[in-house]
Amino acid sequence: METYRIEDLVFSFPGQERETLSHINLTIASGEFITLCGKSGCGKSTLLRQLKTILTPHGERSGKIYFCNQPIEDMDQRTQASEIGFVLQNPDNQIVTDKVWHELAFGLESLGYDNATIRLRVAEMASFFGIHTWFHKSVTELSGGQKQLLNLASIMAMHPSVLILDEPTSQLDPIAASDFLETVKKINRELGTTIIMTEHRLEDILPLSDRLIVMEAGAIIAEGLPNQVGASLGDKKHPMFLSMPSPMQIQARVSAEPIAPITVKEGRQWLNAFLADKTAAPMPEGKENSKASAPAVIQFKDVWFKYEKNGTDIIKDLSFEVREGQFYCIVGGNGTGKSTTLSLISGLLQPYRGKILIGGKNPAKISAKELFTRNIGFLPQNPQSLFVKKTVELDLHEMLAQTPLSKEEKSEKIRSIVKFAELEHLLAMHPYDLSGGEQQRAALAKVLLLEPRVLLLDEPTKGLDSFFKEKLAVFLQKLNEGGVTIVMVSHDVEFCAKYGELCSMFFDGSIITTNATRKFFAGNSFYTTAANRMARHIWTEGVTIEGVIELCLRSK
Amino acid sequence: MKDRFASFHPLVNFVYFASILVFSMVFMHPVLQAASLISAVVYSIMLNGKKAVKFNLLYMLPLLLVAAVLNPVFNHAGVTILFYLKNGNPITLESILYGISAACMYVTVIVWFSCYNAVMTSDKFIYLFGKIMPALSLIFSMVLRFVPRYLAQIKVISNAQKCIGRDVTQGNLLARARNGMTILSIMTTWALENAIETADSMKSRGYGLPGRTSFSLFRFDARDQSVMLVLIGLIALVLFGALMGENTIRFFPSVKWLAVTPRSIAVYIAYFGLCMVPVIINVVEDMKWKRIESRI
Amino acid sequence: MSEKQITGQPLSRRNWLSAVLILVVIPATILLGVFVLEDRKYYFISLLIVFYTMIPFALVFEKRKPQARELIVIAVLAAIAVAGRSAFFMVPQFKPVVAIVIIAGVSFGAEAGFLVGATAGFVSNFFFGQGPWTPWQMFCFGLIGFLAGILFKKGLLKRTKLSLCLFGGLSTFFVYGGIINIGSVMMFSSHFSWEVLLASYVSGFWFDMVHAIATVMFLFILARPMLEKLDRIKTKYGLIEPVSAKK
Repeated sequence: METYRIEDLVFSFPGQERETLSHINLTIASGEFITLCGKSGCGKSTLLRQLKTILTPHGERSGKIYFCNQPIEDMDQRTQASEIGFVLQNPDNQIVTDKVWHELAFGLESLGYDNATIRLRVAEMASFFGIHTWFHKSVTELSGGQKQLLNLASIMAMHPSVLILDEPTSQLDPIAASDFLETVKKINRELGTTIIMTEHRLEDILPLSDRLIVMEAGAIIAEGLPNQVGASLGDKKHPMFLSMPSPMQIQARVSAEPIAPITVKEGRQWLNAFLADKTAAPMPEGKENSKASAPAVIQFKDVWFKYEKNGTDIIKDLSFEVREGQFYCIVGGNGTGKSTTLSLISGLLQPYRGKILIGGKNPAKISAKELFTRNIGFLPQNPQSLFVKKTVELDLHEMLAQTPLSKEEKSEKIRSIVKFAELEHLLAMHPYDLSGGEQQRAALAKVLLLEPRVLLLDEPTKGLDSFFKEKLAVFLQKLNEGGVTIVMVSHDVEFCAKYGELCSMFFDGSIITTNATRKFFAGNSFYTTAANRMARHIWTEGVTIEGVIELCLRSK
Repeated sequence: MKDRFASFHPLVNFVYFASILVFSMVFMHPVLQAASLISAVVYSIMLNGKKAVKFNLLYMLPLLLVAAVLNPVFNHAGVTILFYLKNGNPITLESILYGISAACMYVTVIVWFSCYNAVMTSDKFIYLFGKIMPALSLIFSMVLRFVPRYLAQIKVISNAQKCIGRDVTQGNLLARARNGMTILSIMTTWALENAIETADSMKSRGYGLPGRTSFSLFRFDARDQSVMLVLIGLIALVLFGALMGENTIRFFPSVKWLAVTPRSIAVYIAYFGLCMVPVIINVVEDMKWKRIESRI
Repeated sequence: MSEKQITGQPLSRRNWLSAVLILVVIPATILLGVFVLEDRKYYFISLLIVFYTMIPFALVFEKRKPQARELIVIAVLAAIAVAGRSAFFMVPQFKPVVAIVIIAGVSFGAEAGFLVGATAGFVSNFFFGQGPWTPWQMFCFGLIGFLAGILFKKGLLKRTKLSLCLFGGLSTFFVYGGIINIGSVMMFSSHFSWEVLLASYVSGFWFDMVHAIATVMFLFILARPMLEKLDRIKTKYGLIEPVSAKK
């Protein structure tokens, strides 16, 4: 039985010539688990929104969509509401009411069920999703992962036969994300619900999917079993291949085979087979850290911090130094104090014991203006919190409004920043109309106008696809080469491994270990990159995809 | 301690508070006023503990005194003239008594409201009105969800602004107010843009289909029924008293109320009983629990 | 013109309901108060009348089965007002509520203005504590939002800074201050007299003044950007004025 049949679907937004979706043909069988991927703006979200008429944006549409053999326009809204579940990206925005139990019941209330039925369904869902322990709480008290789980549960309470998820984990940390995906998998496996999902985090999702569909510029360019699609993308050297799981990327570049490994386990098996008749190449010597003797720009000495007098310590006896020109990454779990550390550096918070010196001065003692011009720049986790004006251009000008520069100097400065951050075509747009990656670049441009010497970044890769991540990395490396010190807090182990110079592991309010990136990840056995987990039994210090590929190729 | 009365069905809570508040605002008979004030203070201390004691002594007592003094200054009706003010206006016994009575009533209502706020939490209110005003009660629920979120976002925005050199906590009052408004403005954009996704999420879950029901966790069980019956009985008795004129007092031109008869005593007891319902429930449940505990 | 006709229907139904209330129910209440309640008549009658004026709005709104986006807009604006009230907690009376309510009335019409005001008044007291003042605050905020919407529709209130600030200052001082003081006099002294009311106005003068100045300042700085933001949302997401959204 098929859930959806899409025939020659074409869609374009009003006033746009370009087709956002062009000639899509797709059949989705009941109970299938489908992953849809592609660069931001490739039309995958638009495609998903065509699958539920109430969410379909205005625009020109031709072609047919059938849901269970019935044209989707002919389905009444009540059936659509209950049969087609839709989970959106932002966990916070989807929650409507103030109590967990009420949120769970919201859809059932709309469908007009009586109290007894709702009570039963809500109870079932709470038990299935493990929500019963926080069933009576206010939604404000929940973590991001719990919120997204609540959204999923409140949709599952309506017993949909298909579940559509639009980048559901992009705002979650890795642990919460894999928990969430595990639950989606459970729904698919135990309830037989059809799953259609877009996702950047392919490492976790591909092992679960029955079919992978790749989109580009509004068209489907590949579909099939994940390992076959991966292999064929690799053959074509398609840019989307960079989002594929590390084992797949390594294998494709080392030996072309039609079936690619997806998980670390399969990757290891392949690697062992590949090296069976070869001798593993020796690890090249790592570069010596040349900046170790540069002056320290950030110094923490036995710093302790807590929010309330009787509260628990958030930062415990933290000491570390960042030297000029370094690219310093701080990794670690949620709630270990990483973001608090950034707030301490930027003077938003003050320690109750110990010393913090920024360029030799206490950040809490100098004025915000002095601290943040030509000194420290801070790119917050949510770039939206920086936007003030109605276009990107006005927003950039606003940054310089209080500086004594002449009009020409200001324009010149903005022009060069715009060029650097590649914002030319976005200048006239409203900041909120930009995609996540573009918003971040605009926010970065705003911060760079203050010419920081130290750039602090809080989770800069959150919600970005691999293309935008690469782009961000290029900007950061350029800045770093220009002498800017970068301190980055991140969950994104792969990103830190690839671009970081020094890495620190944060745990329980303090830094447990700090080392040059390669040595750092070689020293961890769990908290490390997929490439390293795949190859560490042969090359402990093979950390990045590129590194492992090179080692494989040199093995004779 | 945990309030037992709050665990009853919201309708019971609401009927109790509605009747008590209306009665406290209407009846100025000294015996009834005293009954209401005493019950309100006892219940508020039961609910809020030390905080309530402090609140009652620190704010309510002075308020009572000031109000009692203010009334005779403006109100010169009454036949029992005590003395004359410098401007020639008389101060009368009736107006003093009236002032005390009015002040007492005001304080009683405020103290009852402090109990109301502790017992009638927002979800109970939304449940009660969800049946008759579904759209508005959903709006209330949404506002209650948004406000803490917005306050958190205001904090995030002001930190982010500080990090580009715009410090809200620095500068003179005017500059600070201006910065505060900028933050409010940024927050508005953020709130409006993000709310569209909330609307999508509502529509996606079928909001707007005809025949929407209103779910709640509350159940009207036997315990609620019996308390409700007691409440209704007591309210009927008090209303009967009101009809007979037992609950009223006349201040002007001279103080006058009905003579105390067995009937009036019955009404007083009924009223005091009504006011004390939550306190009685708490005490009885407490005793029961102690007995159970002693057997273990 | 056509817009007026579309909006005419719910407005007239509300007017009809209001007429019944004003002509029948309110006099009945007053009579009841005068004959039954004696001393407490003033406060009680006034409180009931305040309730009555809000009922038609609630009824019409519920009857109309509003769309999700309408609810969201009202809830977001009310929540901004409440959050603003909390965020500026350190300065007494310096509150943005009236300013936001006026902006809501101008941008989304009289009904939305009333609902945003009344909701903000009501829900903010879940955070600050409900009391006998709640209905009065709801009524005053709502009334100002309603007036802003009506006057804007009639062309008496313009989207200019001057016009909005003028209306904001006057309405805060006279409508809000004027009515709230009546309410507190009724509650506090439970006996109505002009001297007490006057005394209340005199003692409340500075409070009302600061409140009015705050409204003017908020409108001066916020009105234009806020109206622009609301317009953007209206066009970007196909939101039309809630009253005319009904076919």
